[in-house]
Amino acid sequence: MSAISQGAFDGGSGHSCNSGNPHCTHHRHAICFIIPPIMLRNIAEKGDEEQRTLAFHTLAASERFRGQREVLSALGIVKSLGSPGEKLRTIYDAKRGTTLPGRLVRSEGKKATKDQAVNEAYDGSGATYDFYSEVYERNSIDDRGFRLDSTVHYDRDYDNAFWNGTQMVYGDGDGQIFQRFTRSIDVIAHELTHGVTEFEAGLEYQDQPGALNESFSDVFGSLVKQWVRKETAEQANWIIGEGLFTSRVKGIGIRSMKAPGTAYDDPLLGQDPQPAHMKDYYGGAEDNGGVHINSGIPNRAFYLAATAIGGYAWEKAGKIWYIALRDRLRSTAQFVDAAKVTMAVAGDLFGLKSKEMKAVRGAWQKVGVIK
Amino acid sequence: MRASLERTGGFAGMRLTSTADTDKLAPEEAKELRQLVEAADFFRLPPTIASQANQPDRFQYKLTVEDDQRTHTVMVGEAAIPPRVRPLAEWLTQYARRR
Repeated sequence: MSAISQGAFDGGSGHSCNSGNPHCTHHRHAICFIIPPIMLRNIAEKGDEEQRTLAFHTLAASERFRGQREVLSALGIVKSLGSPGEKLRTIYDAKRGTTLPGRLVRSEGKKATKDQAVNEAYDGSGATYDFYSEVYERNSIDDRGFRLDSTVHYDRDYDNAFWNGTQMVYGDGDGQIFQRFTRSIDVIAHELTHGVTEFEAGLEYQDQPGALNESFSDVFGSLVKQWVRKETAEQANWIIGEGLFTSRVKGIGIRSMKAPGTAYDDPLLGQDPQPAHMKDYYGGAEDNGGVHINSGIPNRAFYLAATAIGGYAWEKAGKIWYIALRDRLRSTAQFVDAAKVTMAVAGDLFGLKSKEMKAVRGAWQKVGVIK
Repeated sequence: MRASLERTGGFAGMRLTSTADTDKLAPEEAKELRQLVEAADFFRLPPTIASQANQPDRFQYKLTVEDDQRTHTVMVGEAAIPPRVRPLAEWLTQYARRR
């Protein structure tokens, strides 16, 4: 799937494909598929289970097949899709390798295993599904029952978790700095929200749109945790990735939405680099233009809006951000666009002179995005 | 010969760096590092290796090797690391953790 070419660093300019492949014409998805649909159909009809699963993933995630469940049904793989409104979780074990998805270890409805990482991935993706379904009436990542696949034990000493366009992937950590990444439910919800963003606003993973993409993942990651714990905005600690560090690290978590830049300060890791205000905006090239750094600014804006409104953050502030992500934001949105759009949504939902609208405007003003 | 790694991005957005100098490594390790650089055909890699898939939360690598005559830097996303370069990146990542 990779191509060597001179030019952009890691395709950072967006979702373009360099292969010249005619099947890579869509721009909504970060992943481009190079297998022609006819070949996928053959695999889906005649392949073994693993091949069929892979073919399914490709078909289900491909824009040109969206909405064409009849096609998949005719191929006899409709069971993989689940019925509308149904949770369909599958957990795989990469056994410290990098081949995805790995060996199937737990499917929907099966009882817990002895492996904590497997159970955490299962329970965390289930809670995230339930959150989106019950709070925002959303049926999974694509609002069409997209199956929730997760792979645990990816690679050796892998200090990371990611969404690859069709599934979640979790490392075990190196044991020195990080523990396994399934320990924090907000990490799981963060990864799944990358999927939601990909299907909705499709925010480019670079510079300000990329930092917004990251921020939406932290916002809903944190909201899933708060929803599970039934915490109000005041009660929540707004820490992302709490419990991931080993006891040797001086830090409470990876990021603080309440006070960006204060989550850790450790001799080995250095200090949390997140800015809490536009005056400290990171303008360098690292990390796709600082997507995990500058997300501190919109993260704090959400925290400020949610606490100014009060109560359960998912009910009002979360709804405003969700509708902005689903209906209003474009893939190239800047921070100021996010500010305008969330204010507009707050005005639509609660009134132009409402407390909610004022809370959202005040939040973006406090982080220096608008005057 | 000196080989260095800068890893940024990832879920945690943390920076990991290491520089290994064959003059300061144990002879066996120095030999291993030279072999990895050679196996990667490092000096012939393009300065940036683009990825078709810009996947959220993946690592970004910047690898630099300098010997007596030349210095070369390669930027690559985790998902696009060519198989022959991967062992070098892994070796330098382990080296960063060991300090």
